[in-house]
Amino acid sequence: MPRWMPSLTSIPSLLVVVLVGLPVFAALYAGVAAGDGAAWDHILQNRLLPYTFTTLLTLLLAAIIMLALAVPAAWLISQYEFPGRVFFSWALILPLAMPGYVMAYSWADLMGVAGPLQSHIRSLTGLSARDYWFPNLFSTPGLAFVLASTLFPYVYITARAAFSMQSLATLEAARSLGAQASDLFWRVALPVALPAILGGLCLALMEAAADYGAADFLGVQTLGVGIIRSWSSFGEPNTAARLALMLIFIAGMFLLAARWTQGGRGVQQTSARWLTSRRTALPRATACSVSILCTIILLICFIAPVSRLIWLATETSTRTADLIPLLRSTLLLGVFGTVMAFIAALIFTLATKRSNTLRLSTRLIAAAGYAAPGAVLGLGALFILRETGQALSGTVAITFLVWIYVSRFTSAGVEPMQATLDRLPKNLDNAAHSLGSRGILHFLRIDLPLLTPGALAAGLILFVEILKELPATLMLRPFGWDTLAVKAHAYATDERLAQATLPSLLIVLAGLLPVLLLSWRLSETERV
Amino acid sequence: MTEIRPLIAETVSRSFGDHTAVDSASLTLVPGEITALIGQSGSGKTTFLRLLAGMERPDQGRILSGETVLASARQHVPIDKRKIGLVFQDFALFPHLTVLENVMFGLRALTRPERVQTAEQWLERLGLTGRRDAYPHHLSGGEQQRTAIARALAPQPVAILLDEPFSGLDPTMRDRVRDVALSAVREAGIPALLVTHDATEALVHADTIAVIEQGVILQSGPPEQVYRQPTSLDVARALGPVHKIGASALPADWHTAIASNSETLWYRPEAIQIGAGKALKVTDSKLAGPVTELALSLSATETIYAACQPGSPITAGDQVNASINPALFFDFASKST
Repeated sequence: MPRWMPSLTSIPSLLVVVLVGLPVFAALYAGVAAGDGAAWDHILQNRLLPYTFTTLLTLLLAAIIMLALAVPAAWLISQYEFPGRVFFSWALILPLAMPGYVMAYSWADLMGVAGPLQSHIRSLTGLSARDYWFPNLFSTPGLAFVLASTLFPYVYITARAAFSMQSLATLEAARSLGAQASDLFWRVALPVALPAILGGLCLALMEAAADYGAADFLGVQTLGVGIIRSWSSFGEPNTAARLALMLIFIAGMFLLAARWTQGGRGVQQTSARWLTSRRTALPRATACSVSILCTIILLICFIAPVSRLIWLATETSTRTADLIPLLRSTLLLGVFGTVMAFIAALIFTLATKRSNTLRLSTRLIAAAGYAAPGAVLGLGALFILRETGQALSGTVAITFLVWIYVSRFTSAGVEPMQATLDRLPKNLDNAAHSLGSRGILHFLRIDLPLLTPGALAAGLILFVEILKELPATLMLRPFGWDTLAVKAHAYATDERLAQATLPSLLIVLAGLLPVLLLSWRLSETERV
Repeated sequence: MTEIRPLIAETVSRSFGDHTAVDSASLTLVPGEITALIGQSGSGKTTFLRLLAGMERPDQGRILSGETVLASARQHVPIDKRKIGLVFQDFALFPHLTVLENVMFGLRALTRPERVQTAEQWLERLGLTGRRDAYPHHLSGGEQQRTAIARALAPQPVAILLDEPFSGLDPTMRDRVRDVALSAVREAGIPALLVTHDATEALVHADTIAVIEQGVILQSGPPEQVYRQPTSLDVARALGPVHKIGASALPADWHTAIASNSETLWYRPEAIQIGAGKALKVTDSKLAGPVTELALSLSATETIYAACQPGSPITAGDQVNASINPALFFDFASKST
């Protein structure tokens, strides 16, 4: 058989490639094929340009806030000893457990006119609400703040890793040349860590671009909001398609940039014995102010919003009977979506392990799904439904929704399994084959047991990601299939924030599991 | 048990893009003998091993076990059907299986008690009995190495290929592990290929040495022959240091003894023997472990280098008497270099 011929075993993975890639390409195709002429002028002037501008401004502001939150904290934690350092090193990852929309609900309540912050200001100063200025969360900077406070851990994780992987020798050399602590940071450590930091930032911005829930709730007209409004409110599918094209372009650029900066990661790797493990102890006063700084970050990004949710939830009497149908549909969709995405991820992982020719194409397709925001994929599904003349209801709708979950999250499932495989000796398969191992027995005796830790992580991550997913679920769910995320969003946008808190808290609680897992895996691979 | 047959490569070639990794290489691995394949990194020695094992397919040429074709341009017996044992540099032990289970992995035709019994015999043979229930990450490098050898030999393969199996080990334990491991390989009575970049390892332990450079097998033969009668400069260099000298710079009686018309000559440092003969001035002396390396002045411009084991220390400025062993002078005149 000639080498280039796809073997029989590559057929499942080709099927998965088509399955994962089709919704993205449907959305892309619809965007490119959307008509020209007068309508296009209208779309460009009234929709595409304003939505794109707002999205880019949000991302720019979010980037600045994320760098300000993450980089100093990462530097201090990796280089200095201060009270609570070990606690902060993992606790600063916790905000990742909060979806942007939940963060937005909680901060909207905290910062509202009747909220605790403004009430305190009034009772302290005796002013009335019209006499002072207070920042408005329902604005582009407000959205940037909300997204940055949940997504900055991406930057924090990569920055901390880059700082603590830096060769001690480099820093000692700089010291011996007379560099002071601030010099060390600006002239040596930061330039060396910059590619990694930017890589983390790009991933965070890709996630921020994919947001729909927070922007919709805060009334900021980003591309994600525009896509869903154009389709459902304005009845302009062509507009939605063009906006989707722009959004996938922006998100895709960030993904490419992240991959590209990661390519240069080898620069800062040094031999293990030069890895820094010695941290400078700070003078008492400085150490205390560093601890306070970290506490403030944690307070703003996690403790305050979560405590507010808990407080609101205990204040509000929610009938648990109302929750049961929500939990049922959330669990059913979650389990079904996880199983399908898990199978797809497993097929991907095993296929890329066996064949190099498949590797590039599968990676590309999986990355396309990963970068495509849920709103874009939902739109792709709607276009496919329209072309095939199917109605969005019942089993068809659920099938399409699960399909979109697979398309969006398969690569999130591939990652932990791939990481498990990468840690194994390269010749393990060859060793097993040379002892006569092949086929299904090889899968059962070698692949499956070795993949187990990564597979468990993958399953957990997939389940929680699907549980948190909002835009695609909102677009495709059939009647009576509201999930926790959809219901929380519906309550919140109806200004019934109190009712939104219990579903929101449940989402955060579930979200904590993979974040704790991540934090545990990080501390395994990297001594912080 | 299957009949033991030689493993043969016939003008095998393999390219990756523009790069020819193995260039019409031929080599016969004789049962019961250890053949060492030596070359620098990037010389194609690992690709050659991968071709024999079935991890790569040859572009040209054939690989045979006795009369049976394992690989040709048209045929390809996959790795899992070749029954060739492999030992890797990184050992590639299965991390989820114990030592015993690793060794049992390839034993499938037998009942479970038979498999346990066979595996235990191999563990005993390689001194691993006490470690049968340990997992690979609890083993020392030498124990991992011996487990890998036991795992490869237990299913009674038709040949065994070892890819730099000892280079990952601590030098202080390498000799002991190597003796145990290679005597087990030799006793199996099958063709064995030892890929290495360590010339001493090849010279001490192999029955045949093949030198590979840029994908071409330059020479193969018994260690003594390859070391003393290299057919090219590359082969000579692969097995130990050689130095260059102009024939006219040598004393007349040395030149006569060497009996070569070539202008340029090459010699191994031990070709210069200290003790009797021509008086020469020592310009440099370095103690390099068991031997001392001397630089001896032949004339104002010519220096000759010797490796010797003097009875008492020699320092720069001393006079020594030197003669030569003409057999360790090479001219490569009639051969290409």
